[in-house]
Amino acid sequence: MNFASMTPVAIFTLLNVAMALGLYITALSGQLSMATAAIAGVGGYLAAVLTVKFGWPLLPAVCLAAIAGGLVGATLALITLKMRDFILKLTTLAFGEALSVLAFNWDYIGGANSFTGIGLKTNVWTAAAAALIAFYVAWRFDGSRLGFACRAVRDDPLAASAMGVSIAATRTVSFALGGALVGQAGAIQAHYVLVVSPHDLGFFVSLNFIIFLLFGGLQTLWGPILGAALLTILPEALRFTNEYRLILYGLIIVLVVLRRPEGLLTRMPLGSELKVLGFTLRPARPLADTPADRRLRPLPTPLVQPAKIAAQ
Amino acid sequence: MELLLQQLANGLVIGSTYAVVAIGFALAFTVLRVINFAHPDIFMVGMFAGLVGAAQWPALGFAIAILAGALGACFVGFALERAVIAPLRGRDVLMTLIGTLGVAICLQNGMALIAGPDPVAYPALLPRQFVDIGPVALTLRQILNFGISLCLLILVSLYVRRTAFGRATRAIAERPDVAAAFGVNVARICRLTILLASSMAGIAAVSVGVLYGSASAFVGLLYGLKAFICMLVAGNRYFEGVMVVGLAIGVIEALVTGYLSSSLRDAAAFFVLIGVLYFRPNGLFGSYAA
Amino acid sequence: MTALLQVKALAVSYGVVPAVDGVSLEIKPGELRVILGANGAGKTTIIKTLFGLLRARAGEISFNEEIDLLRLKPHQIHALGVAWVPEGRQLWNTLSVMDNLRLGGFGMKDKALLERRIEGMLERFPRLRERHNQIAGSLSGGEQQMVAIARALISAPRLVLMDEPSLGLAPLMVREVFDLVREINAMGIAILMVEQNARQALKVAHWAYLLETGRIVESGPAAEIASKESVQAVFLGGHA
Repeated sequence: MNFASMTPVAIFTLLNVAMALGLYITALSGQLSMATAAIAGVGGYLAAVLTVKFGWPLLPAVCLAAIAGGLVGATLALITLKMRDFILKLTTLAFGEALSVLAFNWDYIGGANSFTGIGLKTNVWTAAAAALIAFYVAWRFDGSRLGFACRAVRDDPLAASAMGVSIAATRTVSFALGGALVGQAGAIQAHYVLVVSPHDLGFFVSLNFIIFLLFGGLQTLWGPILGAALLTILPEALRFTNEYRLILYGLIIVLVVLRRPEGLLTRMPLGSELKVLGFTLRPARPLADTPADRRLRPLPTPLVQPAKIAAQ
Repeated sequence: MELLLQQLANGLVIGSTYAVVAIGFALAFTVLRVINFAHPDIFMVGMFAGLVGAAQWPALGFAIAILAGALGACFVGFALERAVIAPLRGRDVLMTLIGTLGVAICLQNGMALIAGPDPVAYPALLPRQFVDIGPVALTLRQILNFGISLCLLILVSLYVRRTAFGRATRAIAERPDVAAAFGVNVARICRLTILLASSMAGIAAVSVGVLYGSASAFVGLLYGLKAFICMLVAGNRYFEGVMVVGLAIGVIEALVTGYLSSSLRDAAAFFVLIGVLYFRPNGLFGSYAA
Repeated sequence: MTALLQVKALAVSYGVVPAVDGVSLEIKPGELRVILGANGAGKTTIIKTLFGLLRARAGEISFNEEIDLLRLKPHQIHALGVAWVPEGRQLWNTLSVMDNLRLGGFGMKDKALLERRIEGMLERFPRLRERHNQIAGSLSGGEQQMVAIARALISAPRLVLMDEPSLGLAPLMVREVFDLVREINAMGIAILMVEQNARQALKVAHWAYLLETGRIVESGPAAEIASKESVQAVFLGGHA
């Protein structure tokens, strides 16, 4: 096992996990953003410009990249506030592509020739730090009241707003937080790959992240982690198959989608239980009065007997 | 003035191919409610199938290439529908997107393995001469490309508006449950629709291959994104809208290349997309409620 | 007489949530039966399950007491002679009136017969003949209901499932619709109607079921149900 040769894979896996978690947070409020790669690119460009052209040390540059990512995310949320589901995804796509075109034509940051000359300031441990920060933030957010609010907005915006949850605030927060995580990961990536190119901001790269998420399962925090890790390692692990590598990659994607259409990891539906190796798995909060032998609750009897109304 | 007309003509030629591929996307999206990521690669397979056909029976030339292209594309489309799209019916549309994406990766890289990743020369099935139509000079290939695409578009329009199956297709696109309850075999018509979209793409692909004289395993990427944008800009309420937008975007791209700069050409489609969606979020011609 | 349609202990759930729980009903040829119930009681769920559009969790549905409807696909069920007038009309709004009618007879092999039937519908509904090339979405609510009913009748069904035909219509239109329902039934076509307008429905029906949160709580001849105090109180405003 040659550890040195595994380092790049490890670093990319960690960074992809971080970005996938950022997308997960954004997606928690119900909208899959297709601008992830663009936000990562913004973080990357910004940090690179700061360290190369202004001589900043890495840490402040990454912080600023995170803030920038957050701002871009928030902007995106505000632009798409009034839009419906499908169009929203498209607008994020167009937004990302617009940023990509901007990068193509802005010579200060290299234009079509990419931004080069970045110093190697990161290693596996920095990448791990980025991933851990992303994980911690995602984990705390997921279980927090704000996280629940996000999920409420995702499942039924009308009901959520009727309960006093502000869709605007929730979306903006989830986009901003997700954007910040993605931005910082992008900054770290820029200082490993040593090049930031406008292509990295494009739609296809963003699509990659969406695939990580859907592949691994959108319903739990671990899904994106698993998805990002698997789909980053897989093409490398398949390297021994040489020319057939990508074909096998595509084939595996198809097979997994057909077998597990909800993604690899799913949350168990309420009221159900799973028996594995002698353990019984139930969702964390069981229904108050579920009889052990029935999966479905009986329907409630009518609350008001019609005869009673006539008697009044 | 001459530049304008020339670019217009060029744009219409390119746009007609966009329109044909975009109709394939639109059919899959409205009728099967699926984003068929592999559709541009079905296009690509058609292109190569035509190449093979022309190589085997050189005497029959263009005609056999077109036929082979259509059949090859149909075959892949049929297999795709059976293996990936039908089993995932009813699931989240993004899952089918990923599934078809997996197939697209397989197709692209499989073809790259067989034919090599670099462009392959396409047999010169049509003469290379120029034709002058007034102030505009077009090659015979360009004219035929446009003509074939236009025929395909008209055929689709007639099919969808005048035939019983076409009516059923539109009914499924609008209300699939009600259509099923009135005797429409939804699964069969979905399959038919994919076959239609695939064969159209295959025919157009052969024409494009002859036009540019080359075929590449990754040609799908080029047309796929543009065609997808066409579908989004047009909205999915009227199939003819997608055709018109396809032609329009081709023209816009040609004008941008001619008057501004060729590096902005690819961005032009995106700016159109953003612009249109800002004012008409459902596309230029509107969408169904879905 | 063999029952045209028999439903036994039907149970349908949306995911984990039960919508219909142990419903049994039947209808004989030529009868007009009505299912009364408030919103959310499960009425449309029953109809969609009858057509194979929803999967039943438990129970049996048989046609003519011999064909198991739960095994069939929707278009096959239509071929048996069952037609649907959906809740809210659900026409194909981007298609013309004529196209909607033609689609009503999509399964018919004999095209000449289809044309004759369409002609017959346009005779019966002159207002539709005026508008036969108009886009269905541009018609008024009452006219759309006529198209929906005509569309169902094109295939000369033996059983028509009507889901709230009077919903959202002006009172004059409502009366017209119920007269139409009576007329169709008089032709010998069995009708299973789901309605909230209990007063009108009980006047035309032979038999009534009362559906409440997914269960049948009352079942009997229409006149008997109409005179029950419980029904009067909840549905008929407290008096007959």
